[in-house]
Amino acid sequence: MTATVSTRTTAALTAESLTVRFGGLTAVNRISFDIPLGGIVSLIGPNGAGKTTFFNALTGLYHLAEGRVMLGDRNVTGLSPNKIANLGVARTFQNIRLFGLMTAEENVKVAMHGHMKSGVFSTILRMPWQRHEEKAAHDAALELLDFVGIGKTAGEYARNLSYGDQRRLEVARALALKPSVLLLDEPTAGMNPRESAIFTDFVHRVRDEKNVSILLIEHDMSVVMRVSERITVLDRGETIAEGGPADIKANERVIEAYLGKSGTEV
Amino acid sequence: MTVSDIATVTQAPKQRRSFVKPSMRWPLGLLVAAVAFFLFYYFDTYFARAVPDQFSDFMHQWLPLLSVNEALVYVMCAVGLNVVVGYAGLLDLGFVAFWAIGGYTAGWLMSGFFHTLNFRFFGSAFTKVNEIPGIHINFWTVLVAAGLICALFGVIIGAPTLRLRSDYLALVTLGFGEITYEVFYNGNNVFGKNISNGTQGITPVDSVRFFGFDQTGALTWKDLGPFDALPKFVIFVGLAAIVMFASMRIREGRLGRAWLAIREDELAASSMGVPLMPTKLKAYAIGAVAGGIGGVAFAIHVSGVLPDRFRFDISITLLAMVVLGGMGNVWGVTIGALVLAWTNSTALPQVQKAITESGADVEVGTTLVVVGVALAVLGVVLMIRGVSGGLLPVFIGVLVVVIGGALLYKGPGTSFQFLVFGSVLVLMMLFRREGLIPEARTRLVLREQERTDAEGLGADMEDVAPELEALTDEAIHVGGVAPTQMIDGKETKR
Amino acid sequence: MTQTTAPAPPAAVLSQRFAQRAQRYLTRAAVILILAASGYWLISSFVDNPVLFTSSAVAGLQNGALFALIALGYTLVYGIIELINFAHGDLFMLSTMVAGFFITSFFGVTVSGASFLGWVMFLAALVGCMVFGASVNVAIEFVAYRRLRKAPKLAPLITAVGMSFTLLFFGLFFGGSAPTSNWASLLPQGALDLGGVRVEYKFFVIIAVAVPILLLMSWIVTQTRTGKAMRAVAQDQDAARLMGINVNRIISFTFGLGGALAGVAGIMYQQVIGTTRYDLGFQFGLIAFTAAVLGGIGNLTGAVLGGVLIGLVKGLNDGVGLGQAWSQTVVFTILILFMVFRPTGLLGQTVGEKV
Repeated sequence: MTATVSTRTTAALTAESLTVRFGGLTAVNRISFDIPLGGIVSLIGPNGAGKTTFFNALTGLYHLAEGRVMLGDRNVTGLSPNKIANLGVARTFQNIRLFGLMTAEENVKVAMHGHMKSGVFSTILRMPWQRHEEKAAHDAALELLDFVGIGKTAGEYARNLSYGDQRRLEVARALALKPSVLLLDEPTAGMNPRESAIFTDFVHRVRDEKNVSILLIEHDMSVVMRVSERITVLDRGETIAEGGPADIKANERVIEAYLGKSGTEV
Repeated sequence: MTVSDIATVTQAPKQRRSFVKPSMRWPLGLLVAAVAFFLFYYFDTYFARAVPDQFSDFMHQWLPLLSVNEALVYVMCAVGLNVVVGYAGLLDLGFVAFWAIGGYTAGWLMSGFFHTLNFRFFGSAFTKVNEIPGIHINFWTVLVAAGLICALFGVIIGAPTLRLRSDYLALVTLGFGEITYEVFYNGNNVFGKNISNGTQGITPVDSVRFFGFDQTGALTWKDLGPFDALPKFVIFVGLAAIVMFASMRIREGRLGRAWLAIREDELAASSMGVPLMPTKLKAYAIGAVAGGIGGVAFAIHVSGVLPDRFRFDISITLLAMVVLGGMGNVWGVTIGALVLAWTNSTALPQVQKAITESGADVEVGTTLVVVGVALAVLGVVLMIRGVSGGLLPVFIGVLVVVIGGALLYKGPGTSFQFLVFGSVLVLMMLFRREGLIPEARTRLVLREQERTDAEGLGADMEDVAPELEALTDEAIHVGGVAPTQMIDGKETKR
Repeated sequence: MTQTTAPAPPAAVLSQRFAQRAQRYLTRAAVILILAASGYWLISSFVDNPVLFTSSAVAGLQNGALFALIALGYTLVYGIIELINFAHGDLFMLSTMVAGFFITSFFGVTVSGASFLGWVMFLAALVGCMVFGASVNVAIEFVAYRRLRKAPKLAPLITAVGMSFTLLFFGLFFGGSAPTSNWASLLPQGALDLGGVRVEYKFFVIIAVAVPILLLMSWIVTQTRTGKAMRAVAQDQDAARLMGINVNRIISFTFGLGGALAGVAGIMYQQVIGTTRYDLGFQFGLIAFTAAVLGGIGNLTGAVLGGVLIGLVKGLNDGVGLGQAWSQTVVFTILILFMVFRPTGLLGQTVGEKV
């Protein structure tokens, strides 16, 4: 069933037979997957299918039992989350994890940490290069906030932002890592259909203007169908289908996974 | 805009204009206080007639130079601890270890302790003390050395332990503090070697060569003796200012942001490219440098190092200072340190002395008990009436009753230090977690209750809703679903 | 929705495969090395002076029983609300003073020695101490910790430190800063001579008191309804609440239980050692917590095992090792090693920080 076409040369990120285990439970079982360069692909599946676990495995938060992750030609398997992030895999979180007591601008600047260099002493003495770096970070942060459309909120604490703005800030923060791959974990959760629709355009804009390849986890089928070039369906930690939106809609195993085999579930 | 900017801006109403930039209010205020204090003691010492006797007596009783100097040492250490606890959110209960290491660095490098060696480096080699063989290195160099050594120890202690959960970390640091103390306490025989003279301590340490005053009050360049507390005051103010300044600058930069991010959400921080261990280690090392500087300053202050000054209660005292002033806010911590150190060294003993001398301990005790009971009753009444804030009077009332009762039971000789620091910690945590002079952000953070698991569960349920909606939408295309079935597929909360 | 909060151990959160593997080997090597070294040291010092060795071990066991009692209090509380109750050691210290007060002032005993009446008084004082410990601990929870149950973790920890200091004040106030002595003991005074090893009768009393209490504890926690409720609350407070368990009452009960155990440890210490000091609680508390960690925090059997082990280690160190002056260093080094390399302790399960 796993019709993974290996497109190593054009893949921004490739996962090869990724396996994650928690004790005896295999949460993600031998999933192979790739994000084509400049593509927008989605990962769907019922709750507990292992989507977020897969995300966490890609970003180094979980220990891999098997498999490897390639970022372009570079093997990033087993690297710590911060290293993977700085190499260009940025993510957002399902249940927003902003730094609530930092301003929007600071949130974005935190993600620039790895790209900045100034040390303790130059910070204490405010050396010219340190000031220059801070200024550059400031400008870049404002630009990113403008890009996601919340430029006016730069000075506000993240926790005081509206829900939609927080989602946008998460994207801005992720983009501050200058990623080549952007992983969005249920970015439209909690949005109403109109907001979701706007968001779809936004995802395209991010891909086009920031030159990133995007992987989405989404529950909102309308968003998934509209935005994705390819969809992978997970169930109980395994890939059960892969293909374009139309294929997925017609796939029986997918329907079964979502709705249960008739008669077997009460 | 800086952190302090925000703090002051939100406090000051807009229409009130002032000469000073809001961000300069604290530093200028403290500087003015320090200068005034210096001038007073300068004139009091050298031109006694210029100062009214009563004023002079009052100051000597309630604001003695030596206790202010000691308070300044506390400021340095508390600001250092603030880097660890306030900035990075790591609870360190053994901070006194760095103070001790700094102190002993001074003891080793500025005294006749290593009498088999004879090494001098711009030390104040002109006084009698320094004719003793030993290592005599210049105070300023020792400061740097102590800072480096403490940073090293910070890394050594931090490297294995900083991965621990926050409460374990607290305990391990407490353990390290005790080990350090025990090593120095038994240091006269560590595998046959004497590293610290044990309980004797290392005394005296060399004097500092610095600007001082001769008998007429004229400025001279001299070795500061035990009675030159005023020049030491200047040195300590300078050191404290440097520590405060550096810690604030760091906070506003790249590293400070990383600390904040880690304090807020470790996982998110690491996902955003902030390396956890190095960043935490830097907090430890930088905090330790401040502790080391404090240690050297303290060695100069008392002209020696004694292991008994480095027990766990000092760590807790430092924590109380940080908590009282406001975790994360350097100004708050400074004020907290000054106030508590002063309470400990001057206010409590003076009040007790005053009570003893007047022989009115029974009266004072009774009054306190009565006032305390009244406060407590008032609080209870408020609580019964349903007015919020009734609990604080009850707590304070009980505290006052305890103090009064102690006076009645045992007289004014009681030592109240533990009670004071203990209740500061408890009361602050219960009623004003953000401290007296809070950092703008902390004011928000600590006030709020964390999301309970039940709420978390609720949030999860909410999240299901849109998904259900979407699914039912889609499902109509795919082939009719009862939404309830999705809930079966929902993971249970782990 | 909950996948991000999946119960992964914190180590996995920072998976650095290589570093982990290296650390695993290093740990293993270090453990083997330490075990070998301590084994060699144990055997050689036993051969050197078997009598001294055995007496030290007996003294260690005696302390170990007390550590176990105190460690249980830590582990119970930690198991249920994940709080290191720093005040617990000081509660033990206060209990030693209360015991002294009961026996010396209240019953007016001045001469040491056992008698029937003495046993009655001892039992009365024991009950008194348990009631004291339990009520103070419950009060502390009610006054200080309850309001902070949902607060950021730093807050209750700092409060616990503050409570510890507050209790220290009372200890210093009633006991003074010098070790209190001249307290009479109601326990049999002599000693058995087992081939040169002096085993005091008191030793047997401690064992005779500690063992049934430990058994009782384990019965309470595993067999009774309340015990089951305790375990439910420890697992998930909100779920327990939904199941109709009065969470506040269960937590109070747990604190009471822990406090009572501290009371027992207090009177036993006072009766056996005969002196106390205001900072006793700090030392014993830390050592007992080490015991709890050693056994696996939250694990009752672990706490007892840890207590006995730490007691033995401390006893042997004091007798034939580095000497009493270094006992804290030895114990805390063990604490730190365990915290760093095996935070789950000997019997503990993997507990990840709730993300």
